[in-house]
Amino acid sequence: MAKDLSRQKKFETRIDFTPMVDMNMLLITFFMLCTTMIKSQTLQIMLPTNEEVKDEQKNKVKQSEAVTIIIDGTTIEQKVDGINNAQVSDPNAGMLFYYDGMPPTAQDLLKITNGELENPMKQIAFGSETGGAMPAIREILRERNKEVVAKIADLKKDWKEMKFSSNEEKNDSIYQVKAKAIRNDSTLKRPVVIIKATPSASYAHVVNVLDEMQINNISRYQIDRINTVDSAMMMPLKSKAIEGKK
Amino acid sequence: MGKVKIKKKDTRIDMTAMSDVTVLLLTFFMLTSTFLQKEPITVITPPSVAKEPVPDQNLLSVLVSPTGKVFLEVLGSKDSTFKSETVRADLLKNMAGFYNEKHPSNPVNFTKKEVETFSKVGAFGVPFQYMKDWLNIKDVTLRDKVLEGEEPLTTKDGKKVKLAGIPISMNENPSNPNEFQMWVRAAYNSMDSELKHSIDKGKGIAIKADQTTPYSVVNIVMDNLQTIKMNKFSLMTALKAEEE
Repeated sequence: MAKDLSRQKKFETRIDFTPMVDMNMLLITFFMLCTTMIKSQTLQIMLPTNEEVKDEQKNKVKQSEAVTIIIDGTTIEQKVDGINNAQVSDPNAGMLFYYDGMPPTAQDLLKITNGELENPMKQIAFGSETGGAMPAIREILRERNKEVVAKIADLKKDWKEMKFSSNEEKNDSIYQVKAKAIRNDSTLKRPVVIIKATPSASYAHVVNVLDEMQINNISRYQIDRINTVDSAMMMPLKSKAIEGKK
Repeated sequence: MGKVKIKKKDTRIDMTAMSDVTVLLLTFFMLTSTFLQKEPITVITPPSVAKEPVPDQNLLSVLVSPTGKVFLEVLGSKDSTFKSETVRADLLKNMAGFYNEKHPSNPVNFTKKEVETFSKVGAFGVPFQYMKDWLNIKDVTLRDKVLEGEEPLTTKDGKKVKLAGIPISMNENPSNPNEFQMWVRAAYNSMDSELKHSIDKGKGIAIKADQTTPYSVVNIVMDNLQTIKMNKFSLMTALKAEEE
């Protein structure tokens, strides 16, 4: 009996894991390819309603505070959703026009188009993603909003040093409340930015400009429709740009 | 000279550790993943510094293609009685009510089965008069292709139509809404009060447009929303690092 037992075949106790690993690897590949890791973000905006507003209800913008930004773009032909030569906007090209204060009166506008009066409108080219208009317009907006930006910078220093509270979350929320109060402080000189876009302007540029409002802590901005005065002011600049290219 | 005894090595590698690692990775991916939603158009959203994440419930997203096709998608709550399916079924009934009020001569009515099919589709965007025909396509891949506009839709009277999203045009008269405005209103008036609440707060409607979309196209959608007083909404963007 004892002899028989000792002769019993010893089973290999180790299990071969190779097929298991193979299967796991396949599953991992599947999950990696089918998932979205990057979640989209949202940018909240508020537009006025389309209802007619009576004159006395309108908030009159002080002349010195207004900055009008006009986004212009070029369209290119591209293959989109099955259409071979669909007209889409080129996100890497375009022009940005801006001017301070109120739009000129009809008389002044005539003089501007004739070249008798200096055009208050300036232009910057968008160019590639990093260079071009965005840093330039950021400088301009920062200059207009410098009182707020300086105060926010001070506040940010305090926030970084955890001066409001030793609790990180509490520190954060106090900072947010204070920053909001500064942004809406009517005793400071704050600009009112009016953003307009031509039909061919690319959506990416519009979002970029809206972004600048956040970056520069501008609380008062609006999206408006382009009007004839704006396009008339843009005309001499555009024709000059075409001449320059020749 | 003694014989050098070469020790026979076991060539098999122990796979246990490897298996441990792969199982861990697998668990990680399974828990963190949210599956890519099938959308009728591919959209690359523009980069922005905005940090607020897209809500994953109570959301009406408006997909806008660079050529101006518009699609809608509705998400209900994750953990209440108003699941996406319930909200969608309710949305379709509401929409049918609005549509039949405007077109009393040829009303559209849905069967229980059609409502059920609709509650399971993600993004949609067909003219409402063809909605019934579209929902009756049994082949799911064909239904997607018809939605994308790759294949024509065969209507019940044998006509072939190519679809291009929800009909939308400039409209500043709130008492005569176009189909897109009717859809948005139908979603707002659905029995899901949470969706209504988040639309009021400006988080319920998100516009998802490609970065190459001309502004004129986005403007139509925004203007349509402004007309029906849903003037608070958000734009979907991709993350960009904040520059100091």
